[in-house]
Amino acid sequence: MSRLAKMVYVVFFLIALMAAMPVTAKDGQYGIGTPATASEIAGWDIDIRPDGKGLPPGSGSVEDGEMMYEEKCASCHGSFGEGVGRYPVLSGGEGTLTEERPEKTVGSYWPYASTLWDYIHRSMPFPQPQSMSDEEVYAITAYVLYLNDLVEDDFVLTADNLASVEMPNKDGFFFDDRPDTNNTGCMKNCKDPASVKITSEPSIATLQEEESVAVVEVAPEGGEKVYQQACLMCHGAGVAGSPITGDASAWSVRIAQGREKMVSNAINGIGVMPPKGGQIQLSDEDVASAVDYMIKQATQD
Amino acid sequence: MFSKPGSGPAVLRKVSQEASKVDPAQRRDFLKKGLVVAGGALAGVQFASTLNAAENNLPPNLPEWSKSLGAGVITNPYGQPSPFESDIVRRTVPWLTADRIAAISFTPLAELDGIITPSGLVFERYHAGVPTINPDEYRLMLHGMVERPLIFTIDDLRRFPSTTAINFLECPANGGMEWRAAQMDALQFTHGMISCCEWTGVLLSTLLEEVGVKPEAKWVLAEGSDGSHMSRSIPMEKALDDTLIVYAQNGEPLRPEQGYPVRIFNPGWEGNTSVKWLRRLEVGDKPWYHREETSKYTDLLADGRARKFSYVQEGNSVVTFPCPEKPLMQKGRYELEGLAWSGNGKIKRVDVSFDGGVNWKQARLKGLVLPKALTRFSLDFTWDGSPALIQSRSTDETGYVQPTFTQLREARGNSSIYHKNAIHTWRLHADGTVTNVQIS
Repeated sequence: MSRLAKMVYVVFFLIALMAAMPVTAKDGQYGIGTPATASEIAGWDIDIRPDGKGLPPGSGSVEDGEMMYEEKCASCHGSFGEGVGRYPVLSGGEGTLTEERPEKTVGSYWPYASTLWDYIHRSMPFPQPQSMSDEEVYAITAYVLYLNDLVEDDFVLTADNLASVEMPNKDGFFFDDRPDTNNTGCMKNCKDPASVKITSEPSIATLQEEESVAVVEVAPEGGEKVYQQACLMCHGAGVAGSPITGDASAWSVRIAQGREKMVSNAINGIGVMPPKGGQIQLSDEDVASAVDYMIKQATQD
Repeated sequence: MFSKPGSGPAVLRKVSQEASKVDPAQRRDFLKKGLVVAGGALAGVQFASTLNAAENNLPPNLPEWSKSLGAGVITNPYGQPSPFESDIVRRTVPWLTADRIAAISFTPLAELDGIITPSGLVFERYHAGVPTINPDEYRLMLHGMVERPLIFTIDDLRRFPSTTAINFLECPANGGMEWRAAQMDALQFTHGMISCCEWTGVLLSTLLEEVGVKPEAKWVLAEGSDGSHMSRSIPMEKALDDTLIVYAQNGEPLRPEQGYPVRIFNPGWEGNTSVKWLRRLEVGDKPWYHREETSKYTDLLADGRARKFSYVQEGNSVVTFPCPEKPLMQKGRYELEGLAWSGNGKIKRVDVSFDGGVNWKQARLKGLVLPKALTRFSLDFTWDGSPALIQSRSTDETGYVQPTFTQLREARGNSSIYHKNAIHTWRLHADGTVTNVQIS
């Protein structure tokens, strides 16, 4: 091999070596970590900004959203967004922010429509997060905007028009400017002792009531514990048509099928209910204990 | 196993109420026995025999446990507290939330000493329950406006230089039920959404340096991998300051309830920004305005406007003894104790009042006084049986003095939900019981 050929060979070898080395080893101080590929990032990069950055292509109408909302959202949030139990109220509350009991809803409080799309896609429906298609998220977002009188009933939400949906309270927020109090730290005779009055305390009646209903609860064991972990969020409220815990008539048809069938359905899933209520780490025995708990609730007086 | 009605503070209250009917000379004895009975009932029937044998175990007799052998090593490969302490547990308030999955439990502050919260007693706040994550399948993605988007395994994160700090972790809704009026009847519920642990991990600034942040980048989005995929926008200034990517808590791997295997931790800031089960950090030039920084965790004021990105937990304090769970058993000498903290730095001083804020005495700070950490204070006092209105007031190293409730309400109204750090009042009754009150 001539000297020139050797040099060319060495140069090519070095270039090949550099190309094979991880980028991080060259650029990062520590050279720790693996480069994230575009497809890896795309799978997890779900965030949406008020300017629409991050929205996937797609669209959904108020009309399509109505059925989807009724099926996936109404059991917790109510058919009109009024909220069931302590689940969040989504609509109404306009003009209440200065009242004694303000109602902070999508329409009365949220500054950006993008937040609604992001959150529904990110976290909803509660028992099965990130189970909906982009089209479904567009349609349900459109419908919740409609429930708040922010769009008309023929509105179609798209990646291009979401950022232009104007929210009534968009100018209602300001950056943190605390401290907003100035206690001077007085040590002696700081106020008239006669002015010191008790303005509120939990009433004795409240305390007695609390004792009888056990406001202080210790976590339960066994089937009830599993039930609270995996079943309560749907069966407590009857989400997606699920039989409500303790509802004897709703459960009687299931119980008639036999415990074995019920346990098998709970383990494998049935209809919209995911296997093990979505908590696949539970053992079959755990799931069976929760089924027993729910049978007991439905059959006791 | 556990008798639900009448556990914890309710039992203590009942015991102390009963005690008030007893002849003062026998009261101390009654309270002592009553509390032992209450604790035994909670721990279960296995202690019934112990109680019956109690007198035989007292001097001058030799106790049972001195005449036999106990359990050997590895009986409990992972040690547990004494069964006699089984009522020192996290508790929840069922009516606060719709279910147990997106819910809160509270740290039993009255039962703890020092400043470190045992990992198993750190208050819980979940938005989609606790996910079960195999660390081999864990990845942290760091991307966005960076030169080199990277993915890290646990082993990767542990290879970076580590940092350890003792910091409090507080939910900004701590005490939120008290904005309109005194409502909760125990310290555990008025202030129990706080804890203080030793946290170990890698500084976020180290990871940001590794990926190379582009000059126009101003914010970092932190996102969890649980079902809620909790997300918060964090300003670059904080991210480059003391924000930690945490994998250990109190010397052991992070607990599942606290984000196992990895969480982000923002010292001094509202707990919600310390996203658990962290899966992704995205660098950007604007905040994202996600649900947890618009609909939630913004502070609505009386005029209808709301404060946003109100991250810092300002100076606060509370007396932990006496308190509703820890009444005074008799007249005489005591050491009042409490906890103070500030998200803006170290606690500089704490003052205590027994007359509802007319006159104050300076308390002493005990043990470690660390920035953005719980700081224990105490004050010796002699109780002569008089009723009292007990308060504590912290001052931090920036000079910020904890406000009275009147001052806080004048500034914000009653609807903020978050960041209630007003001076708290315990009403000490003549019978030694303590209740939660608010005063003018």
